[in-house]
Amino acid sequence: MKPITYVENLRLKFPGDQDLLFKDLSLSIRSGEKVLLLGPSGCGKSTLLQVLSGLIPHSVEVPMKAEKLECPPSWGYVFQDPDSQFCMPFVDEEIAFVLENLAIPRKEMSSIIHKLLQQVGLKLNNVHTNIQSLSGGMKQRLAIASVLALEPEVLFLDEPTAMLDPSGTKDIWHLLKEISPDKTVLVIEHKLDHVLDFIDRIILFNDKGEVMADGPKAFVLSKYKQEMRDHGIWFPGVWEEYFREHPIKAKPLKMNNTILTLRNFTGFRKKETKIKVEEFQASPGEWIVIKGENGAGKSTFLHALMQFIKTTGDYKLNGVPIRKVKDLASQMTFVFQNPEFQFVTNTVYDEIAYSLRLDKRDSKEIDIKLQLLLDLFHLTNHQDKNPFQLSMGQKRRLSVAASIVREQKLILLDEPTFGQDSKNTFALLEWLEEYRQQGTTIMMVTHDDYISTNFATRVLTVKAGNIISDKEIDKKNRETTKVLSN
Amino acid sequence: MNIASTETWLHRVNPTLKLLGVLFLCIAVLWIHELNYLLNLTVGIFILFLLFSGHRFKHLVPLLIPFGLIFLSTSSAMILFGQGVTTWFKWGLVHITEESFYRGLLVGLRALLFAALGLTFALTTKPVYLFYSLMQQAKLKPKYAYSFMAAFRLIPIIMEEFQTIRNAMRVRGVERQKGIRAVNFKLKAYSIPLLSGSIRRAHRIAVAMEAKRFTDANGRTYYYQLRFSKADLTFTCYFVFILVAGYYVAGWLPIFII
Repeated sequence: MKPITYVENLRLKFPGDQDLLFKDLSLSIRSGEKVLLLGPSGCGKSTLLQVLSGLIPHSVEVPMKAEKLECPPSWGYVFQDPDSQFCMPFVDEEIAFVLENLAIPRKEMSSIIHKLLQQVGLKLNNVHTNIQSLSGGMKQRLAIASVLALEPEVLFLDEPTAMLDPSGTKDIWHLLKEISPDKTVLVIEHKLDHVLDFIDRIILFNDKGEVMADGPKAFVLSKYKQEMRDHGIWFPGVWEEYFREHPIKAKPLKMNNTILTLRNFTGFRKKETKIKVEEFQASPGEWIVIKGENGAGKSTFLHALMQFIKTTGDYKLNGVPIRKVKDLASQMTFVFQNPEFQFVTNTVYDEIAYSLRLDKRDSKEIDIKLQLLLDLFHLTNHQDKNPFQLSMGQKRRLSVAASIVREQKLILLDEPTFGQDSKNTFALLEWLEEYRQQGTTIMMVTHDDYISTNFATRVLTVKAGNIISDKEIDKKNRETTKVLSN
Repeated sequence: MNIASTETWLHRVNPTLKLLGVLFLCIAVLWIHELNYLLNLTVGIFILFLLFSGHRFKHLVPLLIPFGLIFLSTSSAMILFGQGVTTWFKWGLVHITEESFYRGLLVGLRALLFAALGLTFALTTKPVYLFYSLMQQAKLKPKYAYSFMAAFRLIPIIMEEFQTIRNAMRVRGVERQKGIRAVNFKLKAYSIPLLSGSIRRAHRIAVAMEAKRFTDANGRTYYYQLRFSKADLTFTCYFVFILVAGYYVAGWLPIFII
């Protein structure tokens, strides 16, 4: 069968980079194939999709050269960030934008818009709905609808579910499967749970942008385990393998005293009640995972604890009412989902030392502590770099190191493993476990069931601003999950 | 932009015409030195603002507070320290004369008129309609029109990001830093992630727009077709009316006798 898109001996280099991102890369996709591009972050998968679609070099100017390059005649592209792929404020206007580009007569637009929205299952009372009011999953449905308006033969999907919760992810893959039986699909995805039954071929990249393997999915998944492991790729069974090699030693270290107590606690955003907690206590040595759907109020709960938003009710930290706590950030800390927001200085070293210097600690003391932390978080070789120059994983490690440098006894984390590869995720979890054993309390928002069943000592489920369940996970329970997952 | 309101004839005026009318009046006012005439014009615009912006008084009244401040601040400087011959009051540096008083009122009214015009325009014009109309009636290139519309979408996202950065700074203890150097530091700590985030986002939106086959080529169709209607006639007549009637009323019934 004739390939629908292919490239031969592609060379590409981003201005300012030392090395070529691709060196003589060749690839060919046949019509109707469903292909997954798999590889460590930063290996150039997104760039490759943009080359195949022609976005590079037509829309994004990157120096590149290819002996042969064939872009598909018609294609659509779904991007990962729901917030930065729309240019119009309303749902109907966004799809109309595509129709306008295709010069479809105005009279036909309204019926096409309705048809497309129905096709992607975006049920709205009024098509003139503000996009900002949609959930992440609905936004991605809209993105798919506007791509379908192009009537594409080839779909490029660049982590379309990266920002979605597990149920949203499942729905979107279900939808994609439904709409694409006769289409060619190229997918980049890190969360493999749902995408695997959708695709039939895997192309595996290494961190140098070279193709390590290319073939039917079963073949690649079984033959290239070691390579995937080395590159931190989330292949199916990576968690189970990790737990086999690092059996969780049961250590319910929970102490009887409490570090945090809440009673009739309410958090407000713009005067609206967003989270309500009747009674809650946390003790040193607890690892509390907070679960729930997007928008349920998980992050808001952490924000309320950290006093980012207005709260009422009884809230005591180490027995002291929260209003009387002078320097809250010295007792509890917060790790944000996007590490970049936390960076305030120009080098990795200064970044970690920042809070200590504010405390007016002795510079020798700071240096000793810094060497320890840099070493622990594998940042010693990067200590003079600008935080923004680091890779995803390094940024995450730095933001954690900089947040916990004051040895706060309570660590709040908002989806810290988001977008991280398996190696970084395991390392991060191990550090947290170590801190927990020293009596630190960890409260973490995550969607990952492996974390909640294997690392957490307690799991809270939040729904519509209320805690609907609060379960302790004991040693026995952990072991049963382990057996199950094997 | 998303404030709920009822639609009036002012909403139905073609946005390009409305923009031209508003700009014309803003420039014309610069040549009006007759206090009574200016006062009449201001009243005329306030009638539009209060009765036909489609918003309830409850929402309009708070908007009047900055108006008052603009009026006071611009006029008071002129009134208190301006030059003139007929002295009314003198105390140290403060020197109020008849001439400075009237000139102060004139400057203040001008500022008030600008503010009322601008707000009336903003409250009755959807940005999306404005740009569609500019593309259709003023032949603005789609490239610019859609960039502006995309930029409007970025504003709430940037505000959200600003909030996140502020929280992150609190966690890091940036607020504990004091002094002038801290101000400089904070400026950098806020602006760099905010700017880098916005640039990246703008770039992504631009790529996404081109992925949806956006080009500057001719032959685009439009989802919204903006035309001229009766409302445009009303609008033009109203502006001509206040310009003409304001002038004659100022002659017959002057409020200030100078």
